[in-house]
Amino acid sequence: MSETTEYAETASPDKGDAAPAASGRRKSSPTSSWRSRLYRWDIKASPYVFVAPFFLFFGAFGLFPLLYTGWASLHRLELTNLDDSTWLGLENYTNLLQSDYFWNALGNTFTIGVISTVPQLAIALGIAHLLNYKLRGSTLWRVAMLAPYATSVASASLVFTLLFAWDGGMVNWIIGSVGFDPVNWRESSWGSQFAVSSIVIWRWTGYNALIYLAAMQAVPHDLYESASLDGASRWQQFRHVTIPMLRPTILFTVVVSTIGATQLFGEPLLFGGTAGSKGGADHQFQTLGLYLYDQGWINGHLGRASAVAWLMLVILLLIAAVNLLIARRLRKAQ
Amino acid sequence: MKSRTSGPTTDLASDPPTDVITSPESAPAPRPKSGRSLGLKAGRTMHAGPWTYIVLALFTAVSLAPLIWTAIAASRTSGRLAQTPPPLWFGGNLFKNLERAWTEASLGDAMLNTTIVAGSITIGTVLFSTIAGFAFAKLKFKFSGLLLLLTIGTMMVPPQLSVVPLYLWIADLQWTNQLQAVILPTFVSAFGVFFMRQYLLQALPSELIEAARMDGASSLRIIWHVVFPAARPAMAVLGLLTFVMAWNDFLWPIIALNQSNPTVQVALNSLGTGYIPDRAVIMAGALLGTLPLLFAFILFGKQIVSGIMQGAVKG
Amino acid sequence: MRTTYRRPGRLVAFAAVTALATSLLAGCSSDDDGGSASSDGKITLNVGTFGVLGLKQAGLYDEYEKSHPNIKIKENVIERNDAYYPKLLTQLQSGAGVNDVAAIEVSNITEVVQTQGAKFEDLSKAEGVDKSTYLDWKWDQGTTEDGKTIGLGVDIGPTALCYRKDLFKKAGLPTDREELAKAWSGDWDKYVELGEKYMKKAPDGTKFVDSASSVYNAVFAGATERYYDKSGKEIYEKSQGRKDAWDAAMKVAKGDMSAKLKQFDPTWDQGFANAKFATVACPAWMAGYIQEKTGASGKGQWDMARAPKEGNWGGTFLGVPSAGKHKKEATELAVWLTQPEQLSKVFAKQASFPSTPSAYDSLKPSPATKAYFNNAPITKIYGDIAKNIPSVIYGLKDAQIGQSITDIGVLQVEQQGKSPAEGWEAAQKEIKDVLGQ
Repeated sequence: MSETTEYAETASPDKGDAAPAASGRRKSSPTSSWRSRLYRWDIKASPYVFVAPFFLFFGAFGLFPLLYTGWASLHRLELTNLDDSTWLGLENYTNLLQSDYFWNALGNTFTIGVISTVPQLAIALGIAHLLNYKLRGSTLWRVAMLAPYATSVASASLVFTLLFAWDGGMVNWIIGSVGFDPVNWRESSWGSQFAVSSIVIWRWTGYNALIYLAAMQAVPHDLYESASLDGASRWQQFRHVTIPMLRPTILFTVVVSTIGATQLFGEPLLFGGTAGSKGGADHQFQTLGLYLYDQGWINGHLGRASAVAWLMLVILLLIAAVNLLIARRLRKAQ
Repeated sequence: MKSRTSGPTTDLASDPPTDVITSPESAPAPRPKSGRSLGLKAGRTMHAGPWTYIVLALFTAVSLAPLIWTAIAASRTSGRLAQTPPPLWFGGNLFKNLERAWTEASLGDAMLNTTIVAGSITIGTVLFSTIAGFAFAKLKFKFSGLLLLLTIGTMMVPPQLSVVPLYLWIADLQWTNQLQAVILPTFVSAFGVFFMRQYLLQALPSELIEAARMDGASSLRIIWHVVFPAARPAMAVLGLLTFVMAWNDFLWPIIALNQSNPTVQVALNSLGTGYIPDRAVIMAGALLGTLPLLFAFILFGKQIVSGIMQGAVKG
Repeated sequence: MRTTYRRPGRLVAFAAVTALATSLLAGCSSDDDGGSASSDGKITLNVGTFGVLGLKQAGLYDEYEKSHPNIKIKENVIERNDAYYPKLLTQLQSGAGVNDVAAIEVSNITEVVQTQGAKFEDLSKAEGVDKSTYLDWKWDQGTTEDGKTIGLGVDIGPTALCYRKDLFKKAGLPTDREELAKAWSGDWDKYVELGEKYMKKAPDGTKFVDSASSVYNAVFAGATERYYDKSGKEIYEKSQGRKDAWDAAMKVAKGDMSAKLKQFDPTWDQGFANAKFATVACPAWMAGYIQEKTGASGKGQWDMARAPKEGNWGGTFLGVPSAGKHKKEATELAVWLTQPEQLSKVFAKQASFPSTPSAYDSLKPSPATKAYFNNAPITKIYGDIAKNIPSVIYGLKDAQIGQSITDIGVLQVEQQGKSPAEGWEAAQKEIKDVLGQ
């Protein structure tokens, strides 16, 4: 708080040499004490005012669903009868923790998350770096990055089902021409996870590249200038200038991608085709998001689905806590 | 968000501060003078070699392929789409299918509705995310850390599940089948707030705000003259991502709206009807539904391309 | 350091953007709320359907609007029933946003009858409704235990067997539909035996049937004992109908008789186009699908015969939710739409088979379809099946149990190489999870 008061004090004396427009505003000295009070209030209150819209809207439309699912997770609640709920306490949770399907989904979510998120962010960073060069037709390159994100689910699901078809699919045709046996992409365990991850990578890499690109725009070029004067290669510039400058944005994409991977739902659903919510005959690519959808939407067990959602939240919090601990350790070690 | 298109004199006047804005706190560069002269090159001093183009072309081809194939499929017949190998070049049915999709799904009204929905959500998200992100990144206030964590925490609620309670809530408000039922619940986004915070942390030097404060600028003026210019590329990216997301969203709109007042994704549902859904027409509808996004790309894309520094001198 | 520049123009722009946003929001709140009674005194009736109904395509709405000048009909379609049905449930329970007339898929009808009965109008007492117009078993499906009929039958899915004559011939099997029907009459095992014969001389790259799951569904469609008993208890483990269907599917999977496709996938379409399989169980509504997907190359090659047993696969009901604004008009519309004359028109348009037997004698299939199936007496085959479908006991979670068996159990054996015992164990485990046990 001391910082802000300091501002207020230094700001109150009238500066004649300030920008003309600004000085015009503050010439009215009779009201200056009222103004400075207003000013002090502005500085104290404005942060809250700035974050208020977000919390207001969240309170109006996000809070009720959040509390409702929390309440539902403690009850037996069916989609067919929302007015009739039976108190279960933690039974939904204990049932889930004993359910093979839940642990299977958790494992799948983790493996698919890793094999999709890591390459996705790495490629995105590289692509953003390339896009940051002086390019011919740069608008075109940039907007093309977002094409997968804009492609409708209907098109994407048709294309990928045909690509990964067991019999006559393009991917099997290619690996067949190199002499390998065709893979049953949907019903094999690693094959299906690989296929789902490739859809995720296809869909989100350009998206992340654009986010990185925006951040790169704010890296002052004179850093590159002096680096290249020092004889740094492009790769070194990328490593020693771009990456450190982008750290907050990289952190952002890691957090958002982790959350996204935990909730992964659309891509495996579209890959699964009819009855896609099962995630394969052996649930080999059923993620937590899909399991939740299957429980709540297809089977109508809202209470249990809500418990899945809250467990997902707990898992994310655990990941965050572990991250914090590691970061603190590392800092101490240094 | 209008680009800086005022006359050359104002541009000169605004040159020094924008350069300052772009230099982060850690930047050792002597400014403003050298920063100004180099600012013309906008951080992209390196020219792309042939490999850059090859890699980008490959990446672009993979990105665009499904969209292009959608157009190919839309130009064929449903029967042809069932055959192997699938068609890889355009057929002669494009306009017929487009016309059928347009009339059967009454896409005209739907496009207008979706423009309102996606436009409002984009304005709300970009505006509120920027100011909230700024507050979290650069202002000190009580509970800011806690509030930020809370914001990120709201992202962790899986959207599939909120649908039922949200419908009950919307029903209580008597908003079913009205556009605000799909606009207001996504009018702000935690993603956007967090994104803007991380971006401004890096892109907006704190000295700049201090200086503005010393000049006696009010918070609103700082937002307008310091934060918005510095945040422009990020605002454009956020706007683009939000617009596309809102345009293509279907899970909630299908539940909250019906075809008397539809968005494009809701309207497209009327194409898959009958026991023999016509895949070619469905693809034509998907294509029509995507086309407006290309316009949005061009609109926002320019903003992203002309980053802050370049924008200042371009005029 | 100069940091502040005042540009009134920008402030104006800012204000304009804010004003725009606000006005947009204000503007949409004044939009109509689903349209009930509009300014010209017309009543708008909303009909909620999922993908397959085809009432609009048959021109029925236009016709009704012409004879009822005060009525406007608006159809609200959701392509997939797995989005339509949860929405229907949520609407019914919140009482908001309900359609005046709502379609219900046969796989959901028992759950709707048992859990949502109170939220629908009783159509059995509505004017112009005569129980005898409808097939008994269809009527029963839409009626609650205390005799309240909440869903009137639209179409049904009497299931025949479609087969490719050219492939049968190459494999040395008979191709005459009467002969085939006689050969497998009454017993699906005989159909499977024929499949074993087919596989011995199968033309290159072809299989006997599209998938083991479709065999399961076809056999189960004619089962007299299903997943539940009279008291509503699950008996899927012991049910004879379930066992027969499972055994047949297992023989097909283990005997490598199926093309291992998944129905309604794009690859299934390709299977039709490339003649990858010789038979497929075909409910009436699938005939048009086969024709479209196989294309010109299959004309006159596809034929159909009566299946070993009479069964029903698929179908729809129309109900009138009590929360609707115009229940009287909606009831009139629902009743009118499900009369034989109207359902015949839907059949002529897209071959979905009426649930009203009095229409059968005068049904006219489209000449193209008839020719496509080698001039088979389509309406007679389906009509005979429809009249002989037994009235059986349906249960709350029939659809989910069925899906667990086909998409987990059968698929594991067919595509993941598991043994039938492992497959059945996995299916059972899945069913327990689905039922929340």
